Amino acid sequence: MRNFLNRLKYFIILAALQTLLFGHIHLFGYATVYIYLLFILKMPRFATRNEQMMWAFALGLTVDIFGNTPGINAAAATMLAFMRNYILAMFISNGINEDLIPSTRVLRWGSYVSYAAICTLLFAFILFTLELFTFSMPLHLLLSVGSSTLLTLLFLIVFESFNGQSK
Amino acid sequence: MRTLFNFLVKHNDWFLLLLLEGISLVLLVRFNNYQGATFFTSAGSIAGNVYSIFMDANRYFHLKKENDGLVAQNLALTRELSELKEQLTEYKNNEMLENSPIVEGISSGYNFLTATVINNSLNKVNNFITLNKGTDDGIRAEMGVFNSDGIVGVVYLASKSRALVIPLLNSKSSISCRVKGSDSFCSLSWDGGDPRYSTLIDLPRYAQFATGDTVVTSGFSSIFPGGLPVGTVEEIEDSADGMFYSVRVKLFTDFSRLTTVFLVGNDGQEEQEKLEKQVSKKGK
Repeated sequence: MRNFLNRLKYFIILAALQTLLFGHIHLFGYATVYIYLLFILKMPRFATRNEQMMWAFALGLTVDIFGNTPGINAAAATMLAFMRNYILAMFISNGINEDLIPSTRVLRWGSYVSYAAICTLLFAFILFTLELFTFSMPLHLLLSVGSSTLLTLLFLIVFESFNGQSK
Repeated sequence: MRTLFNFLVKHNDWFLLLLLEGISLVLLVRFNNYQGATFFTSAGSIAGNVYSIFMDANRYFHLKKENDGLVAQNLALTRELSELKEQLTEYKNNEMLENSPIVEGISSGYNFLTATVINNSLNKVNNFITLNKGTDDGIRAEMGVFNSDGIVGVVYLASKSRALVIPLLNSKSSISCRVKGSDSFCSLSWDGGDPRYSTLIDLPRYAQFATGDTVVTSGFSSIFPGGLPVGTVEEIEDSADGMFYSVRVKLFTDFSRLTTVFLVGNDGQEEQEKLEKQVSKKGK
């Protein structure tokens, strides 16, 4: 229960940050920061896939409702939550069996950044494919995915560096 | 059957994924096609309320900009207000001038203007008054200046938008006057001192008058029309050579409280002056 409330707190904080602040930033008309991915990236390793997907769907839908993009963020976030454990497994050595929350403290910097980069890229690709799928604009899609991934990654790294120093 | 059930349980995450993605895609497609689906948008009640609260908070971050805008607007409005006030005073002055008892009875051939005093001095030997109007408004040198109480002085210089007046309180000032009820005229001059008083010099001894009589303009100079009030006789003395009276006059005009003044110009002033100059030349 305490775990749930704690997670709900982050849910609300990240949803607010995303919808009220970052959702309005479209750098160069392409790049948007998807800070709420932090919520999905920071899910415990052994959280069940269903649990992760439910949270991700709820968060994505919330962002959608505020951003007038019904279904798009929800679909991308759900897919990311589904795939996340596979991606995370690539960066955790076989010997480690404990439950953990991915961060630079338990993974090496390189591993964590790679993990975050693959997750963000996957998410951005699904998101922009859905968003632009009525338009056939491959260049636009490429620019949006690339710039948004890089910008989001930058924010995730900044967050991680602050979070790492604080403890 | 059991195998199918086991399959479903084992791969329940796949089915949840399909379910959630299915909902998402339905929402996406519905939103694009069905206009009524406002609940899942910012037009819905939940998101709408959150946004309105956020916008209220957000406004505080724009206060400085808004403030700057208001200051600019305020400035513009203040400027407009002062312009309108000026116009209003002008109208009022014109009305005052038309209804003024002083102006009544002045023969035609004179034109009148109003102006506001923007600078004034009292305590020097040669005081000057500055008016807020100049040649652009029709003011020219040698115009008479008076207010609702009595005469003030004569325009000395006029620039495009300002005019300098030599008031009675200036040693250069010399106004042709007479005591009301008597025909003999003399000139009013000031020798410094109390700004409430001036002196009539060279008043012939045969003139009949008493203290308390009113002094008015004579109308012989081309500057003022005759009959404008100047002051009252306060004290009668003999002049230094004993040939004339020297009369101390209490001025009607309160120079310490000059605001609105009227200007009078004679249409034939230049002509008259020209004529007088010619005559004096011939005389020589």
